[in-house]
Amino acid sequence: MTHAATAPTLKMGIPIPNAKLGMWLFLGTEIMFFTAFIGTYIVMRMGSQGWPTDTHVTHINIALGGTNTFVLILSSYFVVVAHDALLGQHFAKAWRFLMYTTLLGFLFLGIKAVEYTGKFEHDILPGHIPENNRQAMDKVVNQFGVIMDRQLATAFPSQSKREEQKAELDSKIKDLTEKSGRTSQEDSELKKYTTLSKLNSEYVSLKEHVRSDYSLEVPYDRFDEIRKEANSASNYAPVTLDEVNKKVDDLTKDRDYAPLIAGLSPAHPILYGNLFASNYFLMTGFHAIHVIVGLFMFGLVLMKGSRLCIDDAILVENLGLYWHFVDLVWIFLFPLLYII
Amino acid sequence: MSDHGHDEHASHGATYFAVFLALCGLTAMSVAADVVHMTPILLGAVVLAVATAKALCVMMFFMHLKFERAWKYLLLAPTIILALALPLSLRPDIGETYYVPDVPQMRDYPEHQARQAQSGGGHH
Repeated sequence: MTHAATAPTLKMGIPIPNAKLGMWLFLGTEIMFFTAFIGTYIVMRMGSQGWPTDTHVTHINIALGGTNTFVLILSSYFVVVAHDALLGQHFAKAWRFLMYTTLLGFLFLGIKAVEYTGKFEHDILPGHIPENNRQAMDKVVNQFGVIMDRQLATAFPSQSKREEQKAELDSKIKDLTEKSGRTSQEDSELKKYTTLSKLNSEYVSLKEHVRSDYSLEVPYDRFDEIRKEANSASNYAPVTLDEVNKKVDDLTKDRDYAPLIAGLSPAHPILYGNLFASNYFLMTGFHAIHVIVGLFMFGLVLMKGSRLCIDDAILVENLGLYWHFVDLVWIFLFPLLYII
Repeated sequence: MSDHGHDEHASHGATYFAVFLALCGLTAMSVAADVVHMTPILLGAVVLAVATAKALCVMMFFMHLKFERAWKYLLLAPTIILALALPLSLRPDIGETYYVPDVPQMRDYPEHQARQAQSGGGHH
């Protein structure tokens, strides 16, 4: 066997280590993977007149995106420094710089998390964004309905259907109103139930106005007669988003209602907002997954501690190649998502 | 970064640092391009050109492609051609049409535009 070790090894194919060839082939598939996302995003954006670009609307934060670009570039630089140090047999220095890289990777994810939180707070999520006035009004009604369901369920946990809860609410109010000599506790209970009942009427009225497409100026109690009229739809003004949003504003400013309807807010349409949000989360999400995978692998190398040696140079080089690729993807995502 | 005692390895430290500075400078350029008001098409062209320059810096120096042999073309050329297939095939249908797509989202588009013009917002 000894002569085999000294004989020149016959190696076919590309003159690089197999591991490195494997990494490059993998990166080839990654290029195709991300180009598909980035390319389709560019195509969709070009084909959608009125794409949301105002950062006040999309809640895109250029400062955070720019900081993250810098963080990734710095971490990429630290990887090459680490690899260089490894080749120069400065193993402690190599370990240190790999550690810096890992910390920067975590910082990147932290900043990303801050950005995602902002998106969640403003409900910039795929499928949650109204794109025209009708959808915005429907969203307000839907939000209101969810809140109303929650309030009624909290008040009457024993009933599961909205009609039963409403019936119980009415009977409670009736009982308490008719009762003579109410205690102060019963008084406050009556006030609570009356507020809830009025709020529910506001909700039902708003819902019916939006569903039937009548302006809020048309009184809800006339709806039954209006529906019997011929051409009723053309006799009355249609509901508008401004009216609905104003109504929401008024309700949230009301001191009695405000604590009950926390979370209800006016809705503003964002044309192609859902397509934007899908693209944003798909691309930045897959990129973040790649960062997490990279951090995991850096963790494996860092666990070697003082056992890090020259034999790890190829591993660190391959890991570096992967990390640079992750940086490369971000280099394109930053201008495309944050600036253009 | 002293190299004495390890003659077999010439450090690239200085080159790497220069590339790092170049990348930082280019990032600052794309942010500056956003601050300076210019037409959307020009802005797009500038920031994408800057991004391509950055990508080339990373690939050539950090990923050592400048120092690799011809296998890099063998590996990367087919990949890039295949990667472009999907966007290019979508382009005629979605990216470039003579009509405005007839989708419900567009129903309030004129109003939406008027509102944006009125508020003075919606730069780029």
